Amino acid sequence: MLNEDERAHLAAHIGHYPEPRAGAIYTLQFLQRKYGHLHNEALREASALCGLSITQLEELVSFYPLLLRRPVGRRVLRICDSIACHMAGAPALLDEAVRLSGVPLGQPSADGAVTVLPHVCLGLCDLAPAALLDEAAHGPLDAAALAALVAPENTGGQ
Amino acid sequence: MEAVLSRHFHLPEPPDLKTYGDYRALKAALAQKPADLLDQIGQTALRGYGGAGFPLARKWSAVAADAPRPHYMVINLDETEPGSFKDRKLLYRDPHLIVEAILVGAYIQGSDRAFVFVRGEYAEGAQGLQRAVDEARAAGLVGRNILGSGFSLDIDVHLSAGRYICGEETALLNALEGRRANPRSKPPFPFQQGLWGKPTLINNLETVCQVPGVVLNGVDWFKAQGVNGGEGTKLYSVCGPVKNPGCWELPMGTTARELIYEHAGGLLDGHALTAFLPGGASTAFLLPEHLDASMNFDSVAKLRSRFGTCGIIVLDDQTCPLDFLIAINAFFVRESCGFCTPCRDGLPYAHSILERIEAGQGRPGDREHLLELCAKIAPNSFCAFAPGAVMPMESGLKLFADVIERHIAEGACPWHAVPARRAV
Repeated sequence: MLNEDERAHLAAHIGHYPEPRAGAIYTLQFLQRKYGHLHNEALREASALCGLSITQLEELVSFYPLLLRRPVGRRVLRICDSIACHMAGAPALLDEAVRLSGVPLGQPSADGAVTVLPHVCLGLCDLAPAALLDEAAHGPLDAAALAALVAPENTGGQ
Repeated sequence: MEAVLSRHFHLPEPPDLKTYGDYRALKAALAQKPADLLDQIGQTALRGYGGAGFPLARKWSAVAADAPRPHYMVINLDETEPGSFKDRKLLYRDPHLIVEAILVGAYIQGSDRAFVFVRGEYAEGAQGLQRAVDEARAAGLVGRNILGSGFSLDIDVHLSAGRYICGEETALLNALEGRRANPRSKPPFPFQQGLWGKPTLINNLETVCQVPGVVLNGVDWFKAQGVNGGEGTKLYSVCGPVKNPGCWELPMGTTARELIYEHAGGLLDGHALTAFLPGGASTAFLLPEHLDASMNFDSVAKLRSRFGTCGIIVLDDQTCPLDFLIAINAFFVRESCGFCTPCRDGLPYAHSILERIEAGQGRPGDREHLLELCAKIAPNSFCAFAPGAVMPMESGLKLFADVIERHIAEGACPWHAVPARRAV
């Protein structure tokens, strides 16, 4: 549940737009940072704040790839698979990430530490093959650098 | 050439307000009339660096003085196209340049409020920009009655939640309003009815960041920065199998040869150049015979491609051209907003044929069928996304016809070591 300060912060942010729905993306991002993903309760809180129905919010969450409706690990690793990274070995890197996390792409690892996702161009073409661990850019990556990124000491797993 | 956009790129950290120094260009601008400044920009013939190349002064003079208030300025910092990462450098390396450029631009445009639309993957950069805005506000450079001039402006930093189509200017407006980023019909154009129905000028970040240099140094100085028929400077970038992929501020008109072989260090040892996309993933291929072409809007257009953002993507002789096309098309398939059928269904259908050929199950006539599809998808879609998506595919199908026909005739990829690809 959002506390009073958080609710007041979001209400102020939403209120500074000519229309409340303009604050929806910021609100959803805020809730996602707090909860990890946008579960039903998060959407209900966003709905109350932004004046949008749950369906209207689902329209946004299902459209924008950085909004997560399903549970993920505590860290999210997005590996770019667009052309520069593809040529530099992204397919093999994705395979290796699946092997290291022990679960298919998109699922939280068994210890809940990390979820690996393929992602369209990250804008890191000069660092190909590249990835984002949460919000931090990494690249160029090889298998060893990837292993270090998803290692328990880095992702807080066991 | 004098570095203007990249003058702080060498610093270990992006400059804070103290390191950045006085907002000299803002002070110089506030001492002049907006109409005079607009006239100077017109004389530079500065064009939009987001890809369209529309003359900046014409865009900025499009809003009628008696148009309903408020007027909005939007900075498009949603470069999500493979091969384009120049605006990331500005965002991460010099946020105060962005703030000053927005203030100068909004003053000239007569805007009441500015929004910076940042692609979601640049979240750390957006935080740095927000810090710069806050610092400038504390110093009286953002907000009401800036430096006692009577000019007021607030700057909103909006972090997007991802998706390539957000870079299309009308889709961006929908995204800013908290809607799905589907494109809007034009007319009305954004300068007539944009954000919340009010006049809105949408500008690429790099373009706006050129304006303080013009204000400080003048028209002749700006023009003298270019070479080979180009004017001003440009953030050029090169990626792919080269020794030193990167982004550099260079004279507008620098040749592709200099970009690929000098600044990017040439191709990896043992690799040779097959072709390159000059302006990001949505442009048509150029060949080694075009290496000495001046990289500017008109010169690249004459070669039947697009200058775009001039983010060069190199295709080498060790990459299967068909695999290259599939990887690029996979991006567009996934990023289509789904709003109209030719794009939503046509691109995946083309993708399935390309993959079938690559898997050794091509049929005679597949290439011609794909070309026919390209010709149907591009002109029948709602926005510029699909024409951009088919541009590399169409030019690749023509340029690499022999390679593709070999795939079909031999029932296998001649490169053999094609990496496994995931379903899109």
